[in-house]
Amino acid sequence: MRVLLRLLAPLLGIAMAALGALVALEVIATWAQPGRGRGLIVPWPDWRATVDTVTWDQPPVAAVAIGVAAGGLLLVLVGLLARRPEIPLDGPVPEITVTTSPRVLARLVGRRVRAADDVAGATVTASRRHVAVKAQAWDAPGPDLRDAVRARVEELLDELPLHRRPRVTVTVHEWRGPR
Amino acid sequence: MTATPTTPTTQAPRALRRQARAAVARSTVGDRWLAVLVGLVLLVGGVLVALLSYGVFGTGRAARPLLDPMIVDALRAAPDLARGIAVAVGVLLVAVGLAWAARAVRPERRPDLVLERTADTAIVVSSTATAEAVQGQAATIPGVVRARARTVGADDAPAVRVTLWLADDADARQVLAQLDERVLAVARESLGIGVLPVAVRLELDTAAPHPRVA
Repeated sequence: MRVLLRLLAPLLGIAMAALGALVALEVIATWAQPGRGRGLIVPWPDWRATVDTVTWDQPPVAAVAIGVAAGGLLLVLVGLLARRPEIPLDGPVPEITVTTSPRVLARLVGRRVRAADDVAGATVTASRRHVAVKAQAWDAPGPDLRDAVRARVEELLDELPLHRRPRVTVTVHEWRGPR
Repeated sequence: MTATPTTPTTQAPRALRRQARAAVARSTVGDRWLAVLVGLVLLVGGVLVALLSYGVFGTGRAARPLLDPMIVDALRAAPDLARGIAVAVGVLLVAVGLAWAARAVRPERRPDLVLERTADTAIVVSSTATAEAVQGQAATIPGVVRARARTVGADDAPAVRVTLWLADDADARQVLAQLDERVLAVARESLGIGVLPVAVRLELDTAAPHPRVA
């Protein structure tokens, strides 16, 4: 979303400027020469003839309007969602702000979980508020393995100076695959 | 320019914290606001036109042409006013659009640190010198594999952004304490400034792939 916003912002700005320039130019050109029968850059007299005859309830009008509304909704979503998904940590003094990315936290947790022998593999997703671990056990998983994995994750979270301690959920499945 | 020299000892801790917070990444607030604003205009306009087209505002209204003779007559009643407004809106769009595009593609500033400014002289530490000093020192901290630093922010309120790539076995708390005591304290002292807002980003070193099963 952030990349999309970085790409869209200059394009939208240029499109806006181009639209404004066209409007201003065409209006001034027609003002100066009222008799000329065609537009300066865009053939707006032809468009006007079409717009004069098409009524609001004809199907293409609604279709174009819905398309424009969908584009607008997309822009609103891009604008609202283009935040950096960063995880704040506590710095040693107030004038030092420390952040890391969810990817880094997920890698740390995953490495800690996979380091034990009783876990065959693990997938981790992390965010500011929530760390979810899906671990695979060699044998039929029991509740003690889940608690062991959770303890390991909590131990790691103790070591990190995270500003807000995320909630930890652990699910354990049996390993399906070759040993 | 009336920028006061950086005498951060007089700055409130809250302002410092805010500066450090703002140095984390380039701000996209302006871009996001404009995207939401333009998106809302398109969304509302599109929905209203669609409703009109489906006859929600009356079937008689929907059966009229897009360029309603009624509106054309109203514009013809005061042609100069209508043209003036159209030109003004066009010029406004050009100004806003160009300003937005320029803002979006402008690279982020790297301000120099001004240590002392009098009427005719100024003692300035260039942004590259600051960045190299900080990143060179930071890379010597145990547990840090690679470090990168740059100055960010406004000319009269500079801050430093440091990215640290940590080794697998690094203790984050220890590294941060060392960064403050060994690197930033030395930098502040040697540059002769009271405090320097700093934003640190922690990354993991990805150079050596780690075995998935230990």
